[in-house]
Amino acid sequence: MAGATVRIEHLTKLYPDGTRALDDVSFEVHPGDFLVIIGLSGSGKSTLMRCINRLIEPTSGKIYIDDVEITALPVGELRKLRRQIGMIFQQFNLVKRSSVLTNVLAGRLGYVPAGWSLTNYFPSDLRLRAVESLTRVGIPEKAHTRADQLSGGQQQRVGIARALMQEPRLILADEPVASLDPATSHSVLKYIEEMNRRDGITVMCALHFLSLARRYGTRLIALKGGRIVFTGYPKDIDEARFREIYGEEAVEVEIA
Amino acid sequence: MANETLTRPVPPAIPRARVRPWTFFLMIVGLAAIYIYGWQVTQINLGELVTSTRLIRPLVRDLVRPDILARVPLRQEVRVPFSFTPEGAPPMPAPAADGPRIALSAPVGRPGQTVTVRGEGFAPGRPGQIIWTDQSGSSAPGEEFVTDGEGRFTVPVEVIDLIGQHHTLGVQVTLQGSALRPSSAFTLVLARLVETVFLALMGTTIAVLFAVPLSFLGAKNLMARTPVGAAVYVVVRTILNITRSIEPLIMATVFAVWVGIGPFAGVLALGLHSIASLGKLYSEQIESIDPGPIEAITATGASPLQVVRYAVVPQIVPPFIAFTIYRWDINVRMSTVIGMVGGGGVGFLLIQYINLLQWRQAATAVWGITIVVAAMDYFSAKVREKVV
Repeated sequence: MAGATVRIEHLTKLYPDGTRALDDVSFEVHPGDFLVIIGLSGSGKSTLMRCINRLIEPTSGKIYIDDVEITALPVGELRKLRRQIGMIFQQFNLVKRSSVLTNVLAGRLGYVPAGWSLTNYFPSDLRLRAVESLTRVGIPEKAHTRADQLSGGQQQRVGIARALMQEPRLILADEPVASLDPATSHSVLKYIEEMNRRDGITVMCALHFLSLARRYGTRLIALKGGRIVFTGYPKDIDEARFREIYGEEAVEVEIA
Repeated sequence: MANETLTRPVPPAIPRARVRPWTFFLMIVGLAAIYIYGWQVTQINLGELVTSTRLIRPLVRDLVRPDILARVPLRQEVRVPFSFTPEGAPPMPAPAADGPRIALSAPVGRPGQTVTVRGEGFAPGRPGQIIWTDQSGSSAPGEEFVTDGEGRFTVPVEVIDLIGQHHTLGVQVTLQGSALRPSSAFTLVLARLVETVFLALMGTTIAVLFAVPLSFLGAKNLMARTPVGAAVYVVVRTILNITRSIEPLIMATVFAVWVGIGPFAGVLALGLHSIASLGKLYSEQIESIDPGPIEAITATGASPLQVVRYAVVPQIVPPFIAFTIYRWDINVRMSTVIGMVGGGGVGFLLIQYINLLQWRQAATAVWGITIVVAAMDYFSAKVREKVV
């Protein structure tokens, strides 16, 4: 299955308290892109991510996923489209008291009949698939461990396995490694990169470190104060651009 | 030397003490005044603890020898019906083929008349007594006798005045030796302890039924989104807080007046108090749930019901179970106190024994309460460990 195309037109998000989180944002993501979004905290990265699957309702503007206008879909259709969009979070957002397997299976909830799933029953082929997803991220032996018993890196890998269960065509990764140490960051990003390269899934990934952006990104946009200040390739970000995005006093910090 | 003018580091200035000596002195004097008054107003008299030990001695002594087992004299006992009028008199049962049996010269008679009681098959040469039992079940002793060498006796008995028409006439022959049996206090305490545990269980269950829905109405994160919701939240929380501040002891007193003295009053008192405390604990749990999983499950395309099942329920159900078991444990402890004001259970029995100065029986109740409460405490801790 090919990755999805994302087209964003004049997207604006105004919060009730008057904050203009996104201001007339337009860009396009091609199938199979690994798009990195950089910008300071509060520049609108998280809001942008959540507008794409409408966890946050945009104030105005249009978002197309493969020419389907997600911003115009009724709730039922929206849920069907959300199944194809995997999401990975900074805080992993696992259900801590549930087992790893249940957390991974939860990625499939959009596909299974509601009545069955409410009893925590999943057909055996799905359970097998869940274990396969865990194998792909290297922790099949943790299937029956409680999620809160895992280390940060392992929890994020469960988050990736959960997204894999959706058979997504688009991955939204909101600062997936911001809570992890440098070594773990690389292992987590490699799994996301593998989904992008091997399965051709389009990835949109918010990152804090330019070194990581250069290493993993195929394309890059930069947000500042809710506006796009740069669109291009990671290698094009030089010192001057960096200052422009992060402010005059910023110094680039390397992550090994 | 050229380097003589080395700059020495300036020592940091010592900050001045904020409390000056005379302020400190005043504080000491003030505190002393408070505690001296407190000592007097609460009539603390440590000497009393030593000089009055004789008053507490029997209590402490009996505490270590609770009334658990009793020596019961062995007896042979036979009863037959006896009526004042022939109308409605119960039929005379056929005498047993072997073992002790008695026969009356007449099964009907008036008070003051004489009936002859003949017995055989009893133990030889043992003392015996006639026992009258009226319709209400209360007994009165009658003539005494001694059985002969073959276990027989013949004794003329004067019919005594009893309330009602149809009674029983019994014969008790005391045998040699005695048997060790659970004492009546022990069996009574045991029955009341079971009642106490169930009283707490019913009170807790009633509380859960009301507290679960109330807790959702009392959770700020769910209710404060709309003005109406915020108002409901404030009202629910205020009611819960006021209810919680009323001691269950006072509630039990009120309910004992309302529905009568007994375990039901205790159930209502514990139930009402537990609604308030569980409602608060539950709603605080709902308020503290992590919104992250809700966001994550929603993002997978799950329906709202699935989101509740997979993101909300796992976060609240285990702590709800833990709180509930903890509350049951507290309620078992509390129901012993509630019994003292008429809420039923073992506390009611305990206060009766204390009022009658039956210290050994009171000790039985105290030990029973201690063991049950400790067991509940252990059990609830174990379960909570497993669940959370």
